[in-house]
Amino acid sequence: MADTHPIQVVNLRKHFPRKRGLGSVKAISDISFNVEQGEIVGFIGHNGAGKTTTIKCILGLLKPSEGRITLWGNSPAESKVRNKIGYVPENPDYDDSFSPMEYLSMFADMRGLSGMGSDWLKLLKRVGLSKWETTGIRQFSKGMRQRLSLALALQSNPELLIMDEPTGGLDPIARKEFREIIIEENKRGASIFLSSHILSDVETICDRAVILAGGKLMAEGSMAQLLGEENLYRITVLSRKTGEEIEETIPEADLQSRIDHLRRDNLQITRVEMALKSLEDVFIDATAGDSK
Amino acid sequence: MKAVFTFSLMTLRMLFRRRTIWGILLVILLALAAIASVPSFDVSNQGRFILDFGLFGIELGALLLALGLAANLYPRDKETRTLMPLIAVPLSRWQYLLGRFFGAALVQAAALLVTCLGLMLILLFHKLPIPGDLLPATVLIIVEGWFLLSTVFFFSFSTSPPLNWPLTTMLFVVSQMSVVEFVNILPSAPGLMRAVRMLLPHADVFHIKDPIAHGFEIEPVYFFIAIFYGLCYSAFMLSLALAVFRGRDLK
Amino acid sequence: MIRCIISMTLLFALLVFASCQTDYDVAEVAPSEHLDVEHPAGPEQAEDETCEECDSEHSIDEQVEDSHAGHNHAQGSRNHGTQWFFNQPWAAPFIWGKLFRDAAIFLVLAVAVFIISGRKRRK
Repeated sequence: MADTHPIQVVNLRKHFPRKRGLGSVKAISDISFNVEQGEIVGFIGHNGAGKTTTIKCILGLLKPSEGRITLWGNSPAESKVRNKIGYVPENPDYDDSFSPMEYLSMFADMRGLSGMGSDWLKLLKRVGLSKWETTGIRQFSKGMRQRLSLALALQSNPELLIMDEPTGGLDPIARKEFREIIIEENKRGASIFLSSHILSDVETICDRAVILAGGKLMAEGSMAQLLGEENLYRITVLSRKTGEEIEETIPEADLQSRIDHLRRDNLQITRVEMALKSLEDVFIDATAGDSK
Repeated sequence: MKAVFTFSLMTLRMLFRRRTIWGILLVILLALAAIASVPSFDVSNQGRFILDFGLFGIELGALLLALGLAANLYPRDKETRTLMPLIAVPLSRWQYLLGRFFGAALVQAAALLVTCLGLMLILLFHKLPIPGDLLPATVLIIVEGWFLLSTVFFFSFSTSPPLNWPLTTMLFVVSQMSVVEFVNILPSAPGLMRAVRMLLPHADVFHIKDPIAHGFEIEPVYFFIAIFYGLCYSAFMLSLALAVFRGRDLK
Repeated sequence: MIRCIISMTLLFALLVFASCQTDYDVAEVAPSEHLDVEHPAGPEQAEDETCEECDSEHSIDEQVEDSHAGHNHAQGSRNHGTQWFFNQPWAAPFIWGKLFRDAAIFLVLAVAVFIISGRKRRK
């Protein structure tokens, strides 16, 4: 049976040789994960965790030292696979003597797309560049270059959208627009692999997340699994010695017994509230001790 | 091949929009004008002088254009990160290399044809006859320019830009040497020198400025064979450049 | 690995070329009846000789052929590879053969390197 995973990464390792051939630096250590059809998968990790390296391996820009990467069961180097991908690079840049319309027309020709000028105008309008279609890219801000990058990635109606920090450096309104476009693309049927520092974005739109730290896979699962299906409660107790408030988070199942225990010890309970776990908490827990 | 064609046109437009090409072209044309202004003893000598040194100037122009146009193409693409969106999705590495090469080759050929036209105008200005083989001779120099361009591409993938200029220039100089001259560089190892020289290009096949300056008739078959040789050698250099590029990690 | 492929290719090319009998210096391979008996080493050596009268470097052959032409070089004589082609019509096949042989070998090598490096990349 043909492999239908848009992305399958198996035991990926990547190390870069040091200068003058003195050993090598491990960037990725034995990570494995999949992206299923129609999923939005968040790929999170601190700076230098190996996110961009992994993405470049997936795109064939870097050659894995060990392990296997397949896109729909094929090598990333296959042209039939590459035609189904849209890529938004981190800090994109383009030859600044061209305009967005020129870039879109040339990319369309290179990809063998049949779209016309009016299609590209619609696309530019969708990403918020409608008034800038013939302006030289040299006049563009970082955010505008990211919008152009998104337009180029969406141009071919890709089945897989790989995005490396697409909203970094964008203002809140632009970030919201980007999120909406990502959700629209997912509804159209595209699978999305989204690398981001902005955990709230990942938490809002992703079905699953893969957490990376120091080149190692620290956690992976659906949002429900990562955030915890069990409800947590936070109990605040007043210390008899110092008079300070002490917080304690415990699962719902243990809540009553813990309250009884505190009462038996004559401790004053000042507050009991539901503790909502965020992806940030999960990320900090998962990467604790391996932040750099 | 449509992707290569489109990317070539993109490269061509990009190069024409840069100042480099216009600067180099101006330098070559000024050099030709300077050659033409040197006084000579008689009309026939002046014609030979202008043709001989004019064609030599165009040949040096081919080297300058190859280096000026292509030495920084790939390093600049890499540094400014314009390479990533191109290589990641629409283009494979061989398409990128060929697209950049063909674009630069077209610009170089156009510039060299302009200099040939400049040489013709200088001859006309001095009321000297224009040899029929001047244009084919320029075509041979264009092919030599493409060989130099492919060499520049090879070095741009395998070394740093500051090394590209001296290495390509060195190869240009060495490729002009006869086997005997080359062996004389290191007479103690004639076998090795002979073998190395055989592998290096024979750019002297592109030089017909002397026969032309002396009004010698050149058979058309010579042009075809020399052009075929130049194109095959360029293909070889490009394949080596591609092999290096394919092995590169694009960090 | 790519370096290994390139090295092997260059080595192969080196071996192929080194095994060949003819090269661009036609004087080395020309039949004796075509060579000047007084200058058996051919034009390269002849070119190194200097005219005493004018103290400039041009060949003895030039002086014979072009003695009345002042300091001009003989037709095409400054081109190392092509001089025989233009001055000695019998030598043209040597040049053609050499050019064709080299061109064909470089073309085959180019295709081989293209295919091998492509296969290696797809693995």
